[in-house]
Amino acid sequence: MKRISLLALFGLLLSGLLLAGCGGEENKAEETAGAEQALPVLKIGSISPLTGPYSADGNDIANGVRAAIDVVMAQGGIEGFSDIRLFAEDTACDPKQAVAAANKLISEEVVGVVGAYCSSSTIPASATLDPEGIFTITPGSTSPKVTERGLQYMFRICGRDDHQAPAAVKFMTDYLDAKTIFIVDDKTTYSQGLAEEVSMNCEKVGIQVLAHDHVNQGDKDYSAVLTKVRQANPDVFYISLQNSATGALMLLQAKRMGIEAQCMGQDAVFHPQLIEIAKEASEGACLTFGYTDTSTDTYKVFQEANAKYGQVGAYSAYAYDSAMSLFNAIRAAGSTDPAKVRAAMMELDFQGASKRVKFQPNGDSGSDYVVFKVIEGQLVPFWNPRTGELF
Amino acid sequence: MDNAFTFFAQQMLNGLTLGGLYALIALGYTMVYGIIQLINFAHGEFFAAGGYMGVILLSYMAGAGYMDTHPWLCIGFSLVLSMLYCAMLAMAVEKVAYKPLRHSSRLSVLLSALGMSIFLQNALMLTQGVYDKAYPGGIFGAPFEIGGVIVNYMQLLILALTAGLLVALNFLVFKTRVGRAMRATAQDKVMSALVGINSNRVISLTFAIGAGLAAAAGIMVGFYYGSVRFEMGFVPGIKAFAAAVLGGIGNITGAMIGGFIIGMVEIMAAAYIPYGGEYKDVCAFIILIAVLYFRPTGIMGENVDDTRV
Repeated sequence: MKRISLLALFGLLLSGLLLAGCGGEENKAEETAGAEQALPVLKIGSISPLTGPYSADGNDIANGVRAAIDVVMAQGGIEGFSDIRLFAEDTACDPKQAVAAANKLISEEVVGVVGAYCSSSTIPASATLDPEGIFTITPGSTSPKVTERGLQYMFRICGRDDHQAPAAVKFMTDYLDAKTIFIVDDKTTYSQGLAEEVSMNCEKVGIQVLAHDHVNQGDKDYSAVLTKVRQANPDVFYISLQNSATGALMLLQAKRMGIEAQCMGQDAVFHPQLIEIAKEASEGACLTFGYTDTSTDTYKVFQEANAKYGQVGAYSAYAYDSAMSLFNAIRAAGSTDPAKVRAAMMELDFQGASKRVKFQPNGDSGSDYVVFKVIEGQLVPFWNPRTGELF
Repeated sequence: MDNAFTFFAQQMLNGLTLGGLYALIALGYTMVYGIIQLINFAHGEFFAAGGYMGVILLSYMAGAGYMDTHPWLCIGFSLVLSMLYCAMLAMAVEKVAYKPLRHSSRLSVLLSALGMSIFLQNALMLTQGVYDKAYPGGIFGAPFEIGGVIVNYMQLLILALTAGLLVALNFLVFKTRVGRAMRATAQDKVMSALVGINSNRVISLTFAIGAGLAAAAGIMVGFYYGSVRFEMGFVPGIKAFAAAVLGGIGNITGAMIGGFIIGMVEIMAAAYIPYGGEYKDVCAFIILIAVLYFRPTGIMGENVDDTRV
């Protein structure tokens, strides 16, 4: 019987290993959209978490790139190329797998890569791609470090965490007039980093941080932490989680626990899925995300193209613009020579689906965080930290 | 909620609910282990499959409009159907992945179980998509308050269901012919076959019952937490497995007790250790290791095999 328990314990350890090393299998998708064989095919890649907990955003990203390819091909393609082919690789938000995917894309001789989603994947993957003269354009990695490593071919369409936290805190002081805050994160590099940034900014402006607690990834039950929140009774309950489904769980259970604080979230929680799952419990929650003018023609073109692949997620338009900026730069350069494309990239100034795309010398394209609020089951732009006014 | 007692009482209730869910899943682990000494790693996937089956059936019924007129009937119907579905799925898995290996080494069967788990999880992802699926909400009414403690009807339902199933299962195992056959097979497969027990059928049935319970837990989780996800089976599966080992693997009451202990320790660690949210799993597994160190057979485990299922 002792042996049996030993065996059981061994099984437990084995399962722990599996927990640590769980990743999806490599998900390879090669796509072509019509072909003439005379001219070469332009190859681009995408790396994002197609499997695992962040697969919702990861698939949105791959689909955004597909939409961009469709739109460019419908416009007559890129001169000198018969077709554009996408290699959509999976990172599972795992740095090792991200590097493996990057190496694979190098051997496929892609010109540029859209991705990754997790900053912890983007950083090593771009370090692998950069010496080969392959562009990395991230639609979703908000860590400041991404563009601060002096890489030649690293660009970013989304905003930065060190711009997001001040925007959120500004909303708390100027609009909510908050005095106390309770912060919860789920311990990823991203969510914890942002939570700390928020905590620092709060202290600077005199908002008292009652507690900064953590939950584990993969948990569904947050009742213990939420009971603490209820007891602390803060003005603002800030949730920094790595994906929208867990954000929805948090909101749902917070509502049930009778928490009256204003719930605030960030860009990773921002997704239509949040409302789908949390339903009325999401009503009134505020989230920071980059502002997108959905009335532009370019947005409508994107929306139509993306519809073929699924719903518009939080990062769909960013992924679309990432691919578009690469295509536009190749068009302007008239070649795929990295140095020439880079020069063209720096010159870009076009209206994308998500924003006006114009790169700064370090590869950033500017943050435009505003506060969104869930009103009647819709995420609507609510408050602009730049002007301090309601939309 | 301004005093320490209501805080404690609320956390007790949180712990009981979570523990009840773990216990429901742990039962399947323990029953299968009891009868063929296999740690069925695919068990968490039955739980996820049950949750998915529930949401699929419920959305069909909501589409047809029955959900508004007879919500309880719909829930009961989808619960029963999902349990049946998972029972059949488990029997199929047993036939495909475990039965051919019954006379091989334990390690082969264990690996087969791990493979089955990965296979089922990916099958769920490919067929149901990577997005979470939302359960219909607002059926169980608003929570109410007793002396500052917020109580949900769903929590009461989970506790009642767990308790009810424990009683029913104990009755099945210790008071019926089928239960006697199960206990006999657990003790000695060859001998029980000689006295006319169809051990293959008994093993199939054990898998079916365990998976049915997991499916019930899957639906409860769907309602309680609002959504299901293809990989939802993994973490609760590990916790429930730990609960089964803690309680004494192979012992039904032990699995229940183990489930409640793991759930309670997790919640209490998160509640009372400063910034303990991140240490709650550590605490739960420390308890497990400590119990195994002093009592290698687990809390209720015994060295004689006749109490096993």
